[in-house]
Amino acid sequence: MTNDTVLKIPRITPKNMTEKEFFYGHKACAGCGGSVAVRLALKVLGERTYTALPAGCMAAVGFIFPQMAFNTNALITTFPGVASMASGIAAGAKALGQKDFKTVCFAGDGGTADIGLQALSGMIDRDDDVLYICYDNEAYMNTGIQKSGLTPYGTLTTTTPAGKNIHGTKTNKKNLFEIIAAHDIKYAATASIGYPQDYINKVNKAKHIKGATFIHVYASCPTGWGTPTNTSIEIAREAVDCGLIFLAEYQNGDYKLNKNPKEFKSVKEYLTKQGRFKHMTDADIEQVIAYRDMKWERMRRNWNS
Amino acid sequence: MGELKLMKGNEVIAEAAIRYGCDGYFGYPITPQSEVMETLMLQKPWETTGMVVVQAESEVASINMLYGGASCGKRVFTSSSSPGISLMLEGISYLAGAELPCLIVNVVRGGPGLGTIQPSQADYNQATKGGGHGDYQTIVLAPASVQEMNDHVGLGFDLAFKYRIPSLILTDGVIGQMMEKVVVEDQKPRWTDEEIKEKYGDWATTGKQKNRKGNIITSLALESEVMEKHNIHLQKKYREIEENEVLFEEFQTEDAEYLFVAYGSSARVCQKAIEIARAKGIKVGLLRPILVWPYPKKRVSELADQVKGMLSVEMSAGQMVIDVKLAVNGRIPVEHFGRFGGIIPSPAEVVEALEQKIIGGK
Repeated sequence: MTNDTVLKIPRITPKNMTEKEFFYGHKACAGCGGSVAVRLALKVLGERTYTALPAGCMAAVGFIFPQMAFNTNALITTFPGVASMASGIAAGAKALGQKDFKTVCFAGDGGTADIGLQALSGMIDRDDDVLYICYDNEAYMNTGIQKSGLTPYGTLTTTTPAGKNIHGTKTNKKNLFEIIAAHDIKYAATASIGYPQDYINKVNKAKHIKGATFIHVYASCPTGWGTPTNTSIEIAREAVDCGLIFLAEYQNGDYKLNKNPKEFKSVKEYLTKQGRFKHMTDADIEQVIAYRDMKWERMRRNWNS
Repeated sequence: MGELKLMKGNEVIAEAAIRYGCDGYFGYPITPQSEVMETLMLQKPWETTGMVVVQAESEVASINMLYGGASCGKRVFTSSSSPGISLMLEGISYLAGAELPCLIVNVVRGGPGLGTIQPSQADYNQATKGGGHGDYQTIVLAPASVQEMNDHVGLGFDLAFKYRIPSLILTDGVIGQMMEKVVVEDQKPRWTDEEIKEKYGDWATTGKQKNRKGNIITSLALESEVMEKHNIHLQKKYREIEENEVLFEEFQTEDAEYLFVAYGSSARVCQKAIEIARAKGIKVGLLRPILVWPYPKKRVSELADQVKGMLSVEMSAGQMVIDVKLAVNGRIPVEHFGRFGGIIPSPAEVVEALEQKIIGGK
């Protein structure tokens, strides 16, 4: 990246990563992708982190007394207010004269793209020194798999049932990354737990930027998706490989695709192995592919110039 | 007629609304009430009765959608649980101020804050004392069974339209999640604009026709004199409701020397407690407000002349007990017993509390 203002950040890899755990002993379901995203991010951000979580899976599984899973400062916020509370934490820590800390939010897709969007927008507008990580498992999983603004087309959820006439969700995912980038945020990125090194690099980069930063990480959910618990990482990787999820960054006004494959892997294969897409017809899958192609055509045209 | 079914309390709210001929639902997921929207989405009433079902992006959005739908004179409802209802309070105050009929279901969970997803009755004050800003009231129905969950949907809508006031069903995680047999009513047709106009007057914003004036829905009055007049009008309406719509049930009060006062699931615990107490020779009865606003003050006051003491049993730190005390006005001892944070009191605990706090305290 030619216009990268963040220079010479020590690279963090699984080899030199700390063995300390900051999110450990939680009660998440087997194969939980969200917990992988939180665990890895906190390993990068380290001990001096203020962690804020709204109502959602990670709050529900991380704060069950006496098994408090967070080894950092951590608090549960209101559902719509995580970004505002993080702004307050950042201001409070600053007032205390603390310098070597990072404030981070971990919010789900519903808590970010639906109810939490207003607070997030304000936080970015003020450029508060907060890293906001949205772990996206594509529905309200904690309350029992209801559709969110980031649930993709055709998904079976408890509020978008699939039958003969209706085939799950009728709308596409909100373009969350572009919405955030449109604020002219200092740094925003998309990632997937299926590409952990890429995710680690992005968290590391955001850690060293003072001001508002945002990472949208794709995190699989075997419980809500109807997938085997031992394939969470593969599924999250496959989503990227088939082009339904893209890895990109936005910095200094420029978009950059981190992965721009010449050929995509099969969308059909990715969809049909998940319970939530089992009902999809060939026509549905065609529609998903057409939407993907339209989006990639636009991204390639506008982003990698 | 009707139809006998085995259903969860939350599911029957959805079923009853469709069958009542409700026009729309706006909601947002929260435990322990998500089954309301999930059932509606499965039933797809938009294909049968034409009822609209919308998943909003937050509780703030759902209550304001409700405001929009109610302004059009439509029979619309929403449901949520405690933290979600707190988010809705601004909208509820607006609905009350603009005198819009609607139905709001609160499947209460333990608080404060994010609290717990277990049942509680700690939203009593919020529901019966207005809750949001300004001098207002909402009608508050407190079902104690899945059957009443069904019945209160229709009753709530009827009262809401009769008085142009929001109705609130104040239930909890026990009744919402519990399965019981229930007789649901036969499908009624949705009302047309004309039918509503005929029955309840021409106040709704149904779209201005060429040859009539437009209606205005507002709770804003910048001149204090106008606002005071509006407030006096509202208070007059609330007194009228208190006069006419009190609803309660009594259980073994004829010979009672002591009285439990309890609503919703606590009242069911008390029924068992009465059995235990009477086996011990303690003559105790139960007064169960079916509506907790308007409150059965008069009956509580009458019973204060009969019994030696009252115990208000609630899954809260003591909220309804204040209403009981106000009605009794110091004539006999009134105490509170409650478990909270999501714990349901056991009948034995209730009897023990009666013995210690009321009988022993005399």
